[in-house]
Amino acid sequence: MKLPPNVSEADFTAALKEFANIVGDQWLFTSDEDLDLYRDSYSILWGEADERTASAAVAPDNADEVVALVKVANKYRIPIYPISTGKNLGYGGAAPAWPGSVVFDLKRMNRIVEIDERNAYVVVEPGVSYFDLYDYIQEKGLKLSIDCPSPGWGSLMGNALDGGVGVTLASYRSHFDAQCGIEVVLPNGRMMRTGMGAMPGAKTWQQFKPGFGPRIDGLFKQSNYGVVTKMGLWLMPSPENYATGVVTVPKFHDIIPLVDIIGRLEQSKIVQGLWSLSSPTTGTAAFAAHSGASSMPTDPKILAILNSPDGVDMNKLDVAANEAGIPFWAANFNLYGPKKFIEAQWDCIRDALGEIPGARSKLNQIRRLPLPPEELAKMRDLGPLGIPTLRTFDLGPMISYDGEDVVGHIFFSPVIPRTGEAAIEAMDAFAAIVRKYKLPCPPLQFPTAIFERAFLFAVGLPVTRSPVVNAKVREIIRELVAMAAARGWGEYRTAPAFYELIMDTYSYNDHALRDCLNAIKDAIDPNGIMSPGRYAIWPRHLRDANG
Amino acid sequence: MITRRTAVGAGLAFTALAGTAGVSVYGWDAPRNAGAIDALLIDESMAMPRSLAALIGASPRAVPIVGITLDAAGHARLARVLDSSHAIAGISSGATLFCLERIAWDHGFRLTGRSEQSACDPSDGACRQELAAFLAGAYPSAASPSPLVRAYRPSRADGTLHAWVMQKSGRPQFRQSRWEA
Repeated sequence: MKLPPNVSEADFTAALKEFANIVGDQWLFTSDEDLDLYRDSYSILWGEADERTASAAVAPDNADEVVALVKVANKYRIPIYPISTGKNLGYGGAAPAWPGSVVFDLKRMNRIVEIDERNAYVVVEPGVSYFDLYDYIQEKGLKLSIDCPSPGWGSLMGNALDGGVGVTLASYRSHFDAQCGIEVVLPNGRMMRTGMGAMPGAKTWQQFKPGFGPRIDGLFKQSNYGVVTKMGLWLMPSPENYATGVVTVPKFHDIIPLVDIIGRLEQSKIVQGLWSLSSPTTGTAAFAAHSGASSMPTDPKILAILNSPDGVDMNKLDVAANEAGIPFWAANFNLYGPKKFIEAQWDCIRDALGEIPGARSKLNQIRRLPLPPEELAKMRDLGPLGIPTLRTFDLGPMISYDGEDVVGHIFFSPVIPRTGEAAIEAMDAFAAIVRKYKLPCPPLQFPTAIFERAFLFAVGLPVTRSPVVNAKVREIIRELVAMAAARGWGEYRTAPAFYELIMDTYSYNDHALRDCLNAIKDAIDPNGIMSPGRYAIWPRHLRDANG
Repeated sequence: MITRRTAVGAGLAFTALAGTAGVSVYGWDAPRNAGAIDALLIDESMAMPRSLAALIGASPRAVPIVGITLDAAGHARLARVLDSSHAIAGISSGATLFCLERIAWDHGFRLTGRSEQSACDPSDGACRQELAAFLAGAYPSAASPSPLVRAYRPSRADGTLHAWVMQKSGRPQFRQSRWEA
């Protein structure tokens, strides 16, 4: 039997017995075969002494069982680690942040508690996946649409709590910002509701986010202050129509006015759908690291410049692209709504970006939604249409690294300023690292506009089953994080192996933020049972033990 | 989309399947003591499994064939198969197998057998021989699978095909249709 740290065998045995009494023997897992499923398939520490593995797992059916389980854990001081569906691969999966914790597997709790078409919201339990909600909406014929991340098997609630993002309209893409109301079991086993939900019988829990007094919902994002058992999320009314449009600009440095102008359009809510950068010159598609959808250009001059072992000289590339008549950048837009609205949006986009010399624009056919199934089957990326898929899991071009099979990826996810200058700087900096370590990633990767006012420069790095190669990748990530921090770029999310590394970069005024989070931890979870170490928030006894 | 066929007869019998193009695939006989396969899942994202499914589908003795796509429609189809099956076999890329395996875990399944094969042209004679061995490697087994069964590259870009078997393990099923409170 694997014991949680600092827990006696007698206490652990007693706690497991009480857990089983609450959920039933069949929902308590202690065998190696069962616990194997709670390993993070993408762990960068796979098979090493520091790999985060569980001592047991328990799967409650409802919130009352969660309350009872938490009380038992608190009594015996058993570290617990709640997961929703445990599918956030690349960011920890189902594995606990603190080795030896008992995983609270909440995927049996998959009820859609309430869905309101009139006010466009849903209340879900942790086990409801994007697939579940999509299927439910289709089956019921509701005029609602969801915003999903590229892997659709994840939990709506889990993704929101982890700071996950989607790809439709700005108001819905940041999933935690789209939540409205949380039910949470605190570490002492007391259940609490946030916002208007704190009022018994409240009629507006999912309609008014601020509630009364401080808005504390944010305390439950990327943290360890409770087990969230219900969450309200705002949904998008199904758009009548959908269209894509593209604006190309000829020169590499046109990215600077391009980003500025689109930024103004976004701030004015004229551009609301996710737009993405691609390059007809380099053949790089948006989200190249994940999709593998890039295609190499055929122009021999351009190819020679792109394949230079010293890196890509953008000035030479500019000249070659100009000679070949190929624009350097393409901004790809997703537009939603009534036909008149899409046309009006496009007129504004075309006129504004038309100020860039050489800009060309094209609005593709405005399509009535939903699209026919046979057409959807041919489309690689259905996320912009609010349809979940798992197509992102082909790992794109990453097959092997340093002679080892690539089995997954781990993200380096800095947030960079929403400017063309920062985009160029990030592309250069990352391309240099790709060359230096011969990483199996596209050398040119572009920032994404998923966040409303900043760029995300997410890069997937290879994970193997070789401790030697994984150690090398960990060092590369350390180098990337240091490089980013030196430029003022911080990560928005990371895998458990790097919680401390990233938190250390948020060090303003001698780590005032970390100290505040730890002080809250001590107040709300004095026994330190709830997800110790998640996002580098530690209970006092482990801070003391670890210095 | 590949049509789901009605099962004819019990157990597996892919022996001497004769396709309309006159191509045969030999060799995937279930051992006498093995359980029946309830469905054959075919990765529709790869050309070769599709053509293989066409060969198998042309046989009057085929098991149900279910086309798998990694989208919402495919996910729903897969969930129905997993709910109603005890053992399934499939041919897919590593990327698709990776996703299917994890989805199947939540329905109580475990991967119990797997073999892999570089993609080749199924109309070619040598390829057919390789396919025979390829399919022969996948059948239900009571024995515990070796760790190598579960160690595979979860890629599509590597061109590798995987033939595999998953069986319900007797472990609890997490995923049950229950949407409304």
